[in-house]
Amino acid sequence: MAGVSVFDRWRDPSEKALGFMLLAPAFALLALIVAYPIGRLIWNSFFDLRLSGGGGIKFVGLENYLLVFQDPDFWNATKNTVLITLITVPGALIIGLGLALLANLPFKRKWPVRLALLLPWALPLAFAGLIFAWFFHTEYGVVNDVVRRATSGAGGQTEPTMWLLRPGWAFTAICMTIVWKTSSFMALILLAGLQMIPKSLYEAAEVDGASKWQQFWQITIPMLTPSIIVALIFRTITALQTFDIPYTMTKGGPGNSTETLAMLIHKTTIDYLDVGYGSTLAVCMFVLSLFVTAFYLKRIGKNA
Amino acid sequence: MIRRSTFTALASAVALMAGLASSSAALAQQTTLRVFSGGANQRPDLMRKLFDQYQAKNPNVKVEIETGGATSELQRQYLSTVLNAKDPAIDIYLIDIVNPAQYYGAGWLEPLDAYVGKPAEAFKAYLPVYLSSNVIDGKVAAMPAFADAMFMYYRKDLLDKHGVKEPKTWDELSAAASKIQRAEANPNLQGLSIQGAPIEGAVCTFLLPYWGQGKDFNDANGKLTLDKAAATKGLSQWLAMVDAGVIKRNVAEVKTPDTVNEFKAGQVVFAINWGFAWDRFKDDPDSKVQGKVGVMPLPAVADGKSATCVGGWQWAVSAFSKNKAAAAGLVKHLASAESSKFLAVEGSLLATYPGVYTDVDVVKNVPWFKDAANVVIAGRSRPMSKDYGQVSDIIRTTTSAVLARTKTPAEGVAEIESRLTRVMR
Repeated sequence: MAGVSVFDRWRDPSEKALGFMLLAPAFALLALIVAYPIGRLIWNSFFDLRLSGGGGIKFVGLENYLLVFQDPDFWNATKNTVLITLITVPGALIIGLGLALLANLPFKRKWPVRLALLLPWALPLAFAGLIFAWFFHTEYGVVNDVVRRATSGAGGQTEPTMWLLRPGWAFTAICMTIVWKTSSFMALILLAGLQMIPKSLYEAAEVDGASKWQQFWQITIPMLTPSIIVALIFRTITALQTFDIPYTMTKGGPGNSTETLAMLIHKTTIDYLDVGYGSTLAVCMFVLSLFVTAFYLKRIGKNA
Repeated sequence: MIRRSTFTALASAVALMAGLASSSAALAQQTTLRVFSGGANQRPDLMRKLFDQYQAKNPNVKVEIETGGATSELQRQYLSTVLNAKDPAIDIYLIDIVNPAQYYGAGWLEPLDAYVGKPAEAFKAYLPVYLSSNVIDGKVAAMPAFADAMFMYYRKDLLDKHGVKEPKTWDELSAAASKIQRAEANPNLQGLSIQGAPIEGAVCTFLLPYWGQGKDFNDANGKLTLDKAAATKGLSQWLAMVDAGVIKRNVAEVKTPDTVNEFKAGQVVFAINWGFAWDRFKDDPDSKVQGKVGVMPLPAVADGKSATCVGGWQWAVSAFSKNKAAAAGLVKHLASAESSKFLAVEGSLLATYPGVYTDVDVVKNVPWFKDAANVVIAGRSRPMSKDYGQVSDIIRTTTSAVLARTKTPAEGVAEIESRLTRVMR
């Protein structure tokens, strides 16, 4: 009669069994699209796996990891990635906050402001990169044209700046583009946060005689902190993965002075077809993201 | 109920048998060959016509065409994946000249010696460069489809106007360009346009002045034989031309289409570019230089010898094909002098046989081929390596950085050497 009892249990499962059964599809899906690829990535990172052919697949243990630590390209890319993150995340936060406050003003028509906020965010990253690459082009770019017009009155017939061919300028141009592209995303999240702050708080502050400045620091910022942290987490993680904008603007150039980690991984895996070493680099980037996320999560825990 | 299922079973059995019968009948008389024929630039429309010609003569062979990948790099990425998986679905591949070394080295290509003869014999009639680029480890890895090369285009009208002869050395070219620039007094007129952006063309930008000194980049086994002094001299020569105002200052930003467009707009005296540019200069409605363009061999360094970068595409038979003999038969037809002539006349694709350049029909249809012949014969192949993707990336990124002056030529060459000795062993 065992068959009947199994059948009965299937028909009328316990609370716990039902929970597992309901979760199983979602879990299987996650395992398939998250756990398996990550596991496979880590697995590949222990192999010499070059698709350029012939060599076959060799287990090399931790050799790839040792190579990573001696690889000047890896450290250069890490430095660039961290710098881009440290510059563009606060940059986008400050500009995004400004935009959010602006959009929160009591305009009669709200949609034009909101639309203007959304547009840079809706533009694909690669397009933004290509557009700004044109802006910064030495001869055909609008930036140099404006500079030339502005300085020609002052009698300064200077040589045009080669924005994307000087490591420092190229880095600056990329950071400006990223800030332009991402501050609207910041602004959207912060705008939502701003609208959750009850008006009564400001009215009470007004009655108590607080200045606008005091209201901003004592009410707006503290009430907005949860939104700021959420926005920072999202932005930091995407900043660590920066790829499209430097790739389309400079391809990492001049030399590899603007190459990010994601670009190095792409180059190693797709252009060099070195999947083993590329996986190792990707694992290193994954660990870096993990640390940063853990840091933020800890901060949130404190705030909540 | 029963009647219906019986009927379904019967019907499907009949259908199955009919299908089997027809497909086995087809198998008995036909071999189907599947050909990967590159992207739009490799003119699949003309290739289809070549296949049709072969089908008409060989009714038992049917040729299917597969296309994909706009650039050589995208095609390499795709094909490396397909061939790594030992996929037998494609019998013949059209591959870039830089790829036979990688593919043959990986065991992905069938050696063709048994079908076309010993290498020396098989390549006797072709341009000399193909013997070195398609013969790997003493075996025929691929057969030439059509050629391409870096040409030195120049403004015939301007050279005539200022009484300047075709320069034979880079110094002469620099002097000639300066003279014309000064006399024309047009601040937008560039003396020479080369590609300095980190694209495939920059590999040739590095190699041209290096080869021009009579130096080799690699030996027959693909091992790096870089002469650092010569390479430094080559890169310094470009920078000297930038300082002289012959090449524009932002050369590290210049890509292949920039050179084409600026030359078309009449803003360039000398320009180095691939063969396709000729038709753009000659035929494009917005070209201001129609009928004013000449082609000449690339200058050499004094006491050196003229050399250019050869490109072009090769037919190769997959090692995983199930119809190797039939595939080799088709490749022989595709790599024949008749096919080369057909591609030259119909699509002005550069011929792989020196003889075709002087063919009566070819000269009538594409008159500039008689000038092109001298250039192509001096052609050399880019470094051969199974890791060409990496070799190319290292050379072009460093060359671009040197032209952007973020590295000195000596630093750049040292970096190329240290990175490439690891790759080109």
